[in-house]
Amino acid sequence: MRKKQAADVNLKRVALWITGAYALLAVLLYILMGYQLHFRESRGNLAMPTAETGTVELVQGSAVEQRFSAKIQRLESVTVQWGTYYRPNAGTVTIELFNEADGTLLMSGSFDAAAIAEGGTTEINAEEPIETAYLAPLLLRITSDSQPGSAVSPLMSASAKEEGFSLNLNGAPTNGVLCFSASGEDYIWTGLHYWEFAAGFGLLLVLSELFIWNQHKKGKHSYVINALIAIKKYGFLIRQMVSRDFKLKYKRSILGVFWSFLNPLLTMAVQYAVFSSLFRFDIPYYPVYLITGIVLFNFFTEASNMSLTSILGNSGLITKVYVPKYIYPLTRVLSSLVNLVIALIPLLLVALFSGLLPTKAWLLLPFPLLCLTVFSLGFGLILASAMVFFRDVQFLWGVMNMIWMYMTPIFYPESILPKSVARVLEVNPLYYFISFARSCVINGVSPEPMAYVQCVGVALLMLLVGAFVFYKTQDKFVLYL
Amino acid sequence: MSRTMIEVNDVTMRFHMNNDKIMSLKEFVTTALRGKLHYDEFTALDHVSFSVQQGETLGLIGRNGAGKSTMLKVISGILKPTGGNVAVHGNVVPMLELGCGFDFDLTGRENIFLNGAILGYTEEYLKEKYGEIVEFSELGAFIESPLRNYSSGMLARLAFSVAAMVQPEVLIVDEILAVGDAEFQEKSRARMMELMGGGTTVLFVSHSLDQIREMCRRVIWLEQGHVKMMGPADEICEAYTG
Repeated sequence: MRKKQAADVNLKRVALWITGAYALLAVLLYILMGYQLHFRESRGNLAMPTAETGTVELVQGSAVEQRFSAKIQRLESVTVQWGTYYRPNAGTVTIELFNEADGTLLMSGSFDAAAIAEGGTTEINAEEPIETAYLAPLLLRITSDSQPGSAVSPLMSASAKEEGFSLNLNGAPTNGVLCFSASGEDYIWTGLHYWEFAAGFGLLLVLSELFIWNQHKKGKHSYVINALIAIKKYGFLIRQMVSRDFKLKYKRSILGVFWSFLNPLLTMAVQYAVFSSLFRFDIPYYPVYLITGIVLFNFFTEASNMSLTSILGNSGLITKVYVPKYIYPLTRVLSSLVNLVIALIPLLLVALFSGLLPTKAWLLLPFPLLCLTVFSLGFGLILASAMVFFRDVQFLWGVMNMIWMYMTPIFYPESILPKSVARVLEVNPLYYFISFARSCVINGVSPEPMAYVQCVGVALLMLLVGAFVFYKTQDKFVLYL
Repeated sequence: MSRTMIEVNDVTMRFHMNNDKIMSLKEFVTTALRGKLHYDEFTALDHVSFSVQQGETLGLIGRNGAGKSTMLKVISGILKPTGGNVAVHGNVVPMLELGCGFDFDLTGRENIFLNGAILGYTEEYLKEKYGEIVEFSELGAFIESPLRNYSSGMLARLAFSVAAMVQPEVLIVDEILAVGDAEFQEKSRARMMELMGGGTTVLFVSHSLDQIREMCRRVIWLEQGHVKMMGPADEICEAYTG
């Protein structure tokens, strides 16, 4: 007799594995996120107003005083913008920042007036981030020892108005705001409570495992156990189908698998040539910026196009043998994932050649890729089932995909989008994944914790919707094939 | 011993038969707006119930269009019935069409594993049976070349070998398939008989009443989606011809 399929899964071992993996990942994430887990750029940072006029010629004895307050939890630096009257100047300017509540000097700096260019800025930094300045009454005081005729002048915006700010020029109150900016960091609430969160989720995980274990002992069927059985039962089929897709893709081509490697490189080279000479975007590490966007977006396009035809293209099988139908889109997405992993090699090579050094944040790269895969699967499920009923979907999707590509900052910086269009980025899930990956590779740091939540949330939501649509329609597929 | 392997409870299968299938969104919207979205219904199976015990070979007979193939598809899980339910306890191998899922760019060996996986076998089991499958198919060295280089006879032999070398718990057979040259036909016929006689639960559809008499103890006679008669093979076959 044929060996019976091992339909029962060793629950205890699976549960132990999952719990162990969770604990390991929680610790790993803590290490990899490092600084970015605890602090983010403050939301209360003050931006520099656009300069309109000069204040006063800053000679010895005169003073420019700007009172202000800011919601910055850890104040780090203040920057002032200068005008020079377009002449060579001499002397020293001094910038001081006081906390008027207790009269302490928070930070100060002196600069050679001769070195200041028209429209140039000078920045004073705190030795340690200042934690007492949050919403405190602050005084920015600028003085100098220059002689008339060779003195610089801090710039100001006469039309700008800020609640609670006041500008004094040589003791006289003046309308407007000095051209200065203040920046620092905020504590991240999630970061402060990371271990509580980790333990909470861990507890939840263990509790649900116990619950499922209990259900199982009572002999009740549960979705989780059915899913585990399905993974075990259909794992071999999925592997076979993925390896078929992969073998077929490059069958009878001379370079074979090398194309997965070459394709993103060539696309990047073309776009780099076009956009670096035509539009001159001012993006640091532009080739890396490009290839990250290209690799991720190409994966999404490939996965969704392959899922689109997954049910229709396998109609011969579906009408003859019973196999759970989600297997078809799933295997298509997984074979695209294999290509994505290969395409990471040129991505990392380009990064290294551009002079980026590997940081621990590179190890975070699997996170956005995994989220993107889950997202693509959810999206692919919708496309695949829509395609069965309406063949128009393939043409519609071709156009939609193009629009989506242009709405995603792949080759252009997000800053060139006008304010009204910039809103679109917030509802573009692909942008979350791409900017996450860019932060890891280019900036070499983890994005702030919110980005993790967004990525996971968007991915799971799409998977849920996709699974629901697919589940509701799958019984009718065979009638329409 | 006598465990119920297949339970068919009050199964009804209805198909929509709109005159031309709506395949585009525009068509759907326009016909829906015009209120012409009506369907003619065709009942392929009408409240059919029966069960099959472990090790039993059940025959299904009936004229063309009586619902035999629909019944097999419902049991193998390809079609979901409109009403009623079907419970199958064990692995089903539908021998409805051989070699489905074959890929012509892959080699014979790769196709054995792919096809085997589609039929629901585990990796270990296929590895264990691989030698037998190749030997039965008489393909020899061709097993390592892509299927597009195979003759149709070779394809049929490979497909039959994959399907027949395995021993499923439930086997669904739509006519006894005999493929290849005379010698292989004899061999495959013998193998089928062996499979069907060897403790496997078999659902057997045939137009050859001799085969039905030979293989089955119990027979169901379907007519226009109804169970017309159900009972011992000889009795039903007599009534069917008479």
